[in-house]
Amino acid sequence: MAQGGFDRRRVHGPNESFQPIFDDDYEERGALYKGWQLGQTRRKRRAEDIRPIFLNTGFIKQANGSAYIETERTKIACAVYGPRQSKSSAYHEAGRLSVEVKFAPFSSLVRRAPIRDAEDRSVANLVQQAIAPSVRLDLLPKSVIDIFITVIECDGIESCVAAATVATSTSLAKAGIEMFGLVVSCAGAVVGDDVWLDPTEEETQLASGMLLCACMPALGTTTSVRQTGRVFPAKAFQSLQLCQERCVEIHHIVAQALHEDENESNS
Amino acid sequence: MAFKALSKSEKAYIQASLQAQSPLRGDGRSLHQFRAVTLQTGVVPIANGSAHLNLGRSSDESMGGTEILAAAKLEVEDISALGNSGGSNSGGRIVCSVSCSPAAYSYLSATALDDLQHDYSTILNDVLSHASLRPPNLGIIPGRKAWLLSLDLMVLSDAGNIYDALFMAARAALWDTRVPRTRAVEYRPDNKKGGGGKGGDEMDVDTEPQSGLDTRRAKAPAADFELEDSWDDGVVLGGRDAWPVSVTLNLFPGVHFLDATTQEEAATPLRLILIFSYPAGSPAALHGMHLLGTGDTGLAQIESLVKDGGKYALQMYTSLNANLKDEELRRTEKARLRFSAAR
Repeated sequence: MAQGGFDRRRVHGPNESFQPIFDDDYEERGALYKGWQLGQTRRKRRAEDIRPIFLNTGFIKQANGSAYIETERTKIACAVYGPRQSKSSAYHEAGRLSVEVKFAPFSSLVRRAPIRDAEDRSVANLVQQAIAPSVRLDLLPKSVIDIFITVIECDGIESCVAAATVATSTSLAKAGIEMFGLVVSCAGAVVGDDVWLDPTEEETQLASGMLLCACMPALGTTTSVRQTGRVFPAKAFQSLQLCQERCVEIHHIVAQALHEDENESNS
Repeated sequence: MAFKALSKSEKAYIQASLQAQSPLRGDGRSLHQFRAVTLQTGVVPIANGSAHLNLGRSSDESMGGTEILAAAKLEVEDISALGNSGGSNSGGRIVCSVSCSPAAYSYLSATALDDLQHDYSTILNDVLSHASLRPPNLGIIPGRKAWLLSLDLMVLSDAGNIYDALFMAARAALWDTRVPRTRAVEYRPDNKKGGGGKGGDEMDVDTEPQSGLDTRRAKAPAADFELEDSWDDGVVLGGRDAWPVSVTLNLFPGVHFLDATTQEEAATPLRLILIFSYPAGSPAALHGMHLLGTGDTGLAQIESLVKDGGKYALQMYTSLNANLKDEELRRTEKARLRFSAAR
């Protein structure tokens, strides 16, 4: 009997124990805008600043293309498989993108059920809308490109969609799928008279309206625009322009990440 | 995107005729002309507000067109559990759901239909449930009870331009919605000596405060509410002028057209949905903007489209308002006639 000497009535913990260490930053969450009033400026960042972006490719080795993007508390992994033959028997002139978004149960402050929930589909639709015009689907009849997006942590749903779009476009480029250009995306929140780019969850709640813009800076075209909440047309326009300007910078980051990846695989 | 399959040559034919020097449409309309809209409110007797909308039924036919039935129903919701999150507002919310009849989309599988319903519901919910459009009179007891307005729309048949039709029907149903009058009641043991005539345990209905110095009322929140007896169904939703209208611009390079039929929709690469609201005493505001489709466009083009869209939306808004006022008049007229006939 191997278990003979095992005393099941005692706690068999390690001999030493330590206090858990909490992330200071984490406690701050939800308290940054305490006492904030309309008309005051943005805290911690300037209105037109976005959070620093970390982007690298080849995060998931078995995928044809993959990317990982992190902007402070938004962390997203994206994998692209394909193009593969469509399973359905129906004939399609152009290829299709199937985008699947999954939020990790621990991705937001309120736990998300591990099963498919309603928000997954609307996020997937937005990413698909932003990406589809850039991919040369006309060259891929009868085929499907599978895109899997896993949101590990989400801070502001609009910014999350924007980051997911950037990650997807990077993965598609890594997978060697023909595109017209890289799609980058940026979100903006209209707070009072200001436009705050790349808003966090807290900032989203202060905003009267939200904007999301995806574009191909290389071609100067817009692939997706989405606005919710109440925004006056002139303001909406100004925010779209701000988003587009910022997108040019994000485009550089994506290009840089792809370039580094190229260098790594060559050396 | 749920489009009926259209052959390449059909698509090319429609596209070429729309982009021609003098554009031509299948039903002879000009590019920016809407089909006829028929609207009826108060069609569902057990709902708090309802509307039946048909877009595109020609006058010599008895059927056809996009047909939508919208009904708003109010139910009491306990909000004390989520009270602290929305401290400033008086509570109440709106939930929209769209259900598409399988009869209208016979070519779609059950799962595709589910997805379609979900997409329509999301766009409607994004606009109508947003805090900026919440009516002020949906609260019953602050922090405890509020009305939950469920707006259900049913697509009975789809002949194109579904988004505009959905928003028009939603606006009509919400316009028609009456919120029952309520009165807060609370139980208070009768401590006053003079109240001998009344029984000790009666319900104290708070009508007007007896004294301006009585601050207890603010401290002790009402326990429950009762429905008032009134001659009508209740009061209209606050700020009902602000309910938005949507206009879908179907885009081709250099040209756009309104109110596409199903075939035209299938031939259009890109659509811009603009949702405008015209609240009383303030300029027009955008409540939603969605770009749908596989084409791409430039920012400058979007700007001019938003300007044009604003014009179309204003026209739509004024004619819809006139229609709704007529409808209201018709119904009160009818009620009066019925009443005088019964006497």
